[in-house]
Amino acid sequence: MVKPSNSHAILQMVLHWTLAAAILFLFVSSWWMLSLPLPSDDHTYRVVPFQLHKNIGITLLLIILVMICLRWVRRLQQNAAARSALQTLADIDQWLIYALVAACCSSGYLSSSYSGWNTEFWWLIQLPAWARENDGLNILFSDLHQWSCWLLLLAIVLHIAAAIYHGLRDDALLPKMFP
Amino acid sequence: MQHAPVSGAGFGAIIVLFGLLAFAGHGNEFLKQVVLAPGSSAELGIAPDCRADELDEENLTVLECQLLVSNVQMQLASSPHWFRIVQLLLSGVGMVAALGSLLVGFAFVHNRLPMIKSGIACFGLLLALDLIGLIGAASTGPLLRAQYLWPLFLWLNIHLCLLLANWHYVRGDSLEQNN
Repeated sequence: MVKPSNSHAILQMVLHWTLAAAILFLFVSSWWMLSLPLPSDDHTYRVVPFQLHKNIGITLLLIILVMICLRWVRRLQQNAAARSALQTLADIDQWLIYALVAACCSSGYLSSSYSGWNTEFWWLIQLPAWARENDGLNILFSDLHQWSCWLLLLAIVLHIAAAIYHGLRDDALLPKMFP
Repeated sequence: MQHAPVSGAGFGAIIVLFGLLAFAGHGNEFLKQVVLAPGSSAELGIAPDCRADELDEENLTVLECQLLVSNVQMQLASSPHWFRIVQLLLSGVGMVAALGSLLVGFAFVHNRLPMIKSGIACFGLLLALDLIGLIGAASTGPLLRAQYLWPLFLWLNIHLCLLLANWHYVRGDSLEQNN
């Protein structure tokens, strides 16, 4: 059994699985919540799901920043050993997922900012309005949010396929990311 | 005939994948039942506010905007009085059980037998929840049956397969130890 060598590795694992559960929940819930009635004074069905969506999204952005820092620190600690093509591909997939999560979360937040809706982070901290209401920019960032999320879903499917491939090969790679 | 040995790590990765998907599904169902409360605006027959800018932003027609409210009305009108509380309970327990199945998946990857054995209880619980959900949904009207029965039937089969595979793995390991 391969045990995490340091607290960085444990933290990386905890963040990885939190990220995985949160991203899948965000996908499922966003497909559903867009079928709710459009917001108005009377129909407030979207308020809680959208606020929760934003809360989780902003939290994921913070998690991704921590994960990037951890990965960077670990990389500095590792020897610059030669990497196989498969390892390089795995690295690319990993960085692609980080970049796409960051793009999804930031475009979603910017879209929300330009829509004129307030963001109260976990119903505790009122985030300042970064921008004035602007329909054109709201639609632009909303489109970016949508497309980056579809690309993220594709990258996640590849990531899952790779994990199952390594698991079925039993090549001792999987235990490194499974606590 | 020679059979390839079952890879515990591969099976663990598959369990974790289904655990994450089940967590997201149960979480979304919980959120759905919290948001779609009886006596809310759609049930009171309040007309939707289909503003041109909102329609443009969401890429919706006026008819689709009206149907978003009808969709909530359909959900509320076809839910028996017990349905919401049963769904809240099932999805709440389901989220916890799904997180438990992640621990079982991790245990398979690291071949931790005591935790692997507890997988039988975990998948048994998930299977029971699917069965209760299936019976509950079958007792509602055609609109909710159309929405719930097929996904529940799929999950029932997935959890049945995982339960049997887990049981087979534990039994095989016990036989190996006895020999």
